[in-house]
Amino acid sequence: MKKYAYNEITTKQFIFFIYKTQIGVGILTMPRTLGEAAGTDAWISILFGYVIALAASCLIILIMSKHPEDTLYDLLPRYFGKWIGNGLSLIFILYCAIAAGLAILSSVFIERMWIVPDSSAFLLIVLFMIPVYTVTRNGLRVLGRYAEFVYLGTVWMYPLLLFSLKESHWLNLLPIAKDGWVPIVSAVKLTVLPFLGFEMAFILYPFLQNKKAAYKGIIIANSISLAVYLLIEILASIFFSPTEVTEYFWPTLILLKRIELPFIERFEIVFLSFYFLVLSMTVIPYLFTAVFGTSQLMGKQDHRVHLRWYTGIFLLIAFFYNPSYTSLDRLLTAWGKYGIFFAYAFPVCLWGYIAVFQWFKRRRFP
Amino acid sequence: MEPKQITDKLVENIEHLRSLFTHTPDLIIHPVPLKTGQHGVLVYLEGLVDKLSINDHILHPLIYEGNAKTPPRNAVPNGGKTTSASRWSDVEAGLFQGKSALFLEGQPHAVLFDTAGWPQRAIEEPQVESTLKGAHQGFTETASQNIAMVRRYIANRNLKIKQLTVGRRSQTRVYLLYLEDVTHPEVIREMQGRIEKIDIDAVINTGELEQLIEDNPYSPFPQYKVTERPDVAVSHLLQGRAALVVDNSPGVLIGPMVFVSFLQALDDYSTRWMVASFVRLLRFTGLLIGIFLPALYIAAISFHFEILPISLLMSIGESRARVPLPPLMEALLMELTLEMLREAGIRLPSPVGQTVGIVGGIVVGQAAVQAGIVSNIMVIVVSLTAIASFILPDQNMAASIRLIRFPMMLLSAWFGMIGIVIGLTTLVGHLIAAETLGLPYSSPLAPARFGDWKDTFIRIPLQKMLNRPQSAHPVQSTRQSPSAKNRGDDK
Repeated sequence: MKKYAYNEITTKQFIFFIYKTQIGVGILTMPRTLGEAAGTDAWISILFGYVIALAASCLIILIMSKHPEDTLYDLLPRYFGKWIGNGLSLIFILYCAIAAGLAILSSVFIERMWIVPDSSAFLLIVLFMIPVYTVTRNGLRVLGRYAEFVYLGTVWMYPLLLFSLKESHWLNLLPIAKDGWVPIVSAVKLTVLPFLGFEMAFILYPFLQNKKAAYKGIIIANSISLAVYLLIEILASIFFSPTEVTEYFWPTLILLKRIELPFIERFEIVFLSFYFLVLSMTVIPYLFTAVFGTSQLMGKQDHRVHLRWYTGIFLLIAFFYNPSYTSLDRLLTAWGKYGIFFAYAFPVCLWGYIAVFQWFKRRRFP
Repeated sequence: MEPKQITDKLVENIEHLRSLFTHTPDLIIHPVPLKTGQHGVLVYLEGLVDKLSINDHILHPLIYEGNAKTPPRNAVPNGGKTTSASRWSDVEAGLFQGKSALFLEGQPHAVLFDTAGWPQRAIEEPQVESTLKGAHQGFTETASQNIAMVRRYIANRNLKIKQLTVGRRSQTRVYLLYLEDVTHPEVIREMQGRIEKIDIDAVINTGELEQLIEDNPYSPFPQYKVTERPDVAVSHLLQGRAALVVDNSPGVLIGPMVFVSFLQALDDYSTRWMVASFVRLLRFTGLLIGIFLPALYIAAISFHFEILPISLLMSIGESRARVPLPPLMEALLMELTLEMLREAGIRLPSPVGQTVGIVGGIVVGQAAVQAGIVSNIMVIVVSLTAIASFILPDQNMAASIRLIRFPMMLLSAWFGMIGIVIGLTTLVGHLIAAETLGLPYSSPLAPARFGDWKDTFIRIPLQKMLNRPQSAHPVQSTRQSPSAKNRGDDK
């Protein structure tokens, strides 16, 4: 029996889901963080990061394809037994819940700083939770549609960055690898972070209508993200001078300042408002994964009850805890480390464990 | 105990009939001395029957013609269906449907003749749905006539009709029309199931039935289309949807609908494709303006005046200099006035209706600005919004759009642009989660069906439209044979 047949998603939805989870707050500050580490050669680091992310994503699909009807939460108890398996699931859930929370906090922080500096952060968080709740309370099928809508509704935003070309100097990119390869390689650990989001495949895989297209889908999703990151990184490298880029906190938004229209000024305000759509599509997948996980662990079909709990707890935390940017940044860095573990190291370990597990099994029952 | 069966004694039957229908002056009990010597009684409800046909085709042959050999039911030349009933409940139901019942001495059943002929309206052009190029006839209040109008368009035996009854007291007859080889069987099963589940005393018109069978009563958007035009109904039938003809109501209900189909009109297909595409895009623009323009205005002047160029900001400032109200109050005041004007215009008799226009236009529009209560720009914004919402072809959808504008205005007054985007996201979240009859309401945008896009924002030439839209999941998707595609290229 197919457990998740009712909530099937198409390959298109799978691609947009993963791609939109990957694109988040990170790209607004990316030129700065990468610029600090690798200067104008950061785009090469992004390519390396992409290759690593691709390898990890394909490994995830490889693991999942062994039991095509299982999500990660079904898979872990199967290999590790009930207690350890569920324990591992719980850690993954915690990771996703924290990811969702941090994504909301940092979204609110940016929007508040740029657009409505006078509003209370807590009220904004409450406001943010309304659409997030509206979407997340539905099944994965609706989330897939939301991913499609977010893609279609925000696809116009990236070409707008090209306005900055008016004042850029392609020569900034040359010479390639001017400081040698060491900074480029050391920046790779920063570039794997923006690709976080493909670990959603752990949950999405059993819902996929056409499982044969899973590899194709995840490769396309990573490639679209790569294109966006390369676009932004290269535009920033040729627009700013190598030292200037590290001076701006949100260099990507500065790129938008070049847009001059006769009827509208300060276009980044409009841009950033609409960017909420993109940000919400980072929050929602993680939140859903966490909510879905706890509901599965407790054997509940309806995940809405847990969603209400999560929302309530989250709002309670947000009410008492209002982080400054530095502490938020510290939290994000810490979370990034866990992210690297869950998205990159975890699949490798899992795959290794499964290989050994099956080898033993075959030995024992030839 | 009340007898359920008709007895063979005529006098008892008449007695029972009189006890059933007390205080019913329009019940006619007409003794008929048959030529064969039998005694009979003809019963009908005056006003629901065609008296001429009773005189000529029932009474006359029974009294003056016929012989003992032919049973009376065959003696009567009548075009409609003639049945016999032996239960009182059937007789009762028949009488209310405009049938006349013949009771004969010695026979334990009544013969029901179809003599229906109640007062009805002539076929006219529907007033609420105007068209430039479509047919100028509209549905009436008689279901059989409405079905006939649909049949004239589709001369095909695959047009199936399911007869259902709704309402314990009203016994309203409801007909479910669909194309058997096109419409998805699940859609029909779902719709029929929902109608059969209704247990209510009466349904007065289609609008009531619509709400009883819709998926989400808490949605601001209409989930079915109600049309008074046969050509519109037929066009939807051909797209794989089902139509529900409700007796006593000129509105025919169509489902399952998707959001974008409320922005399409039948005229789009009969005008040239470039013009039609332009109009379609205009409607989508109108939709966005109708929901967001007042909210954007409020957000721009109360939060983000820095996004406005300085010259525009100056002229807005000048126009607002004398206005004592904050932008939200100003906008609400004007929007509510406009809604009142619109509502006042609907139900007023047309001679008085003109006054509303004059009072609204001159007093509110001009005087309010001169008095410094509202600004010029606000009047422009409100008028634009009104015009934008009036170009939506479906009245139900236009009403929903007008309603959504208010929460958007509140959100933008509290949170600026962020509020608007949050509102948009919540709206979208609601739309993509909505389903009608098990099919996604937001198709073909999400789930994205790019094949359907050629008939969504634009309308491509008819020669290229080979398939039916997928939004209603039709079983048979081919609509036009591909060979027709090349017709335009022939020399």
